[in-house]
Amino acid sequence: MSLRSTDRQWGSVAKFFHWIMALAVLVNGVWGLLMTDMTPSMSKISVYAWHKSIGLTVLALFALRLVWRAFDRRPKDEPGPRWQQVAAHAVHGVLYLMIVALPLTGWWFNSLRGFPLQYFKLFNLPAIAGKNEELAHLAHEAHELLFWALLLVLVAHVGAALKHHVFDNDNVLRRMLPFGRPRN
Amino acid sequence: MTRLALLLCALALPGLASAADYTVQSAGSTLAFHGNFQGSGFDGHFEKFDAAIAYDAAHLEASKFDVTVDLASARTGDNDRDTALPGSDFFDVAQFPKAHFVTTAFHRNGNTVTADGNLTLHGVTKPVSLTVDFKPTTAGATLDVKGALKRLEFGVGGGDYADTSVIADEVIVTAHLNLIAK
Repeated sequence: MSLRSTDRQWGSVAKFFHWIMALAVLVNGVWGLLMTDMTPSMSKISVYAWHKSIGLTVLALFALRLVWRAFDRRPKDEPGPRWQQVAAHAVHGVLYLMIVALPLTGWWFNSLRGFPLQYFKLFNLPAIAGKNEELAHLAHEAHELLFWALLLVLVAHVGAALKHHVFDNDNVLRRMLPFGRPRN
Repeated sequence: MTRLALLLCALALPGLASAADYTVQSAGSTLAFHGNFQGSGFDGHFEKFDAAIAYDAAHLEASKFDVTVDLASARTGDNDRDTALPGSDFFDVAQFPKAHFVTTAFHRNGNTVTADGNLTLHGVTKPVSLTVDFKPTTAGATLDVKGALKRLEFGVGGGDYADTSVIADEVIVTAHLNLIAK
């Protein structure tokens, strides 16, 4: 398996970005939904700090992924109905937007609340908005709703991948699996 | 007799040298602190405090600061923090409602005056030194002091909150007082 993608399958760099970001977004999302119920404590502060750091990592990975995508080639669409190919690309586009919007709304919310933003206790990032408690409420709603919306879109994304793998028995999922090889 | 009385007064005066007493004008006077949380500094202040100030630059030995701070009046502009500070994890105002600072000695080093004193906070008394900048004005004076203390020496934010990688140990305390001569 090469670093770069080929006509038939994704390269290891594209696979790395795909799976590490999938894991980070899901874990951080569930983590985020649970952490708001914690009673104020040092543990809560630490859990929030991790959530923010993981979110910022997702944002950084996304930027690197875009750069890589610009240089990498892309496997050709697997044979199938045109509408499915269009739908698949549309879903990918929406997922990309959500992956950026999730950390950015988090950052926005954090700024509106006037909280510090520290990356794994290494360095601090600036606020991207002035303190505003009313708007913070809205930003929090947006941040949380985005994750629920992402889960909905994921149903389509994962559902389609599994449908291709299980029922169509084609290479759509296989070419993105960590150790998968496309069949001829 | 008058001559004798004047003479006695003249002789007695230097020995009776007492620093001028001042009252703090609450308008424009602040008692503030600066801490660091998650790598980011934050400012707070105490809305309620009393300060008895006696100061004479020429007679530092007769000068004295005596300050009592209502710890429940700490405000930092953040609701969560302002709720946490009076609680049992930090100031524990239910047990220790006030902090008290009283000077023990003043020193002059060149143009800098330092006030040594004892701070009682959270049931612990430790020495704390302040730099003193005293400027006479027409009605009285302005007094600016600055000092640093380590919160953990006073047991403020113990247990899990003792983690200085999240909440810095050092807290800078400053005060700006508008003084009116008594």
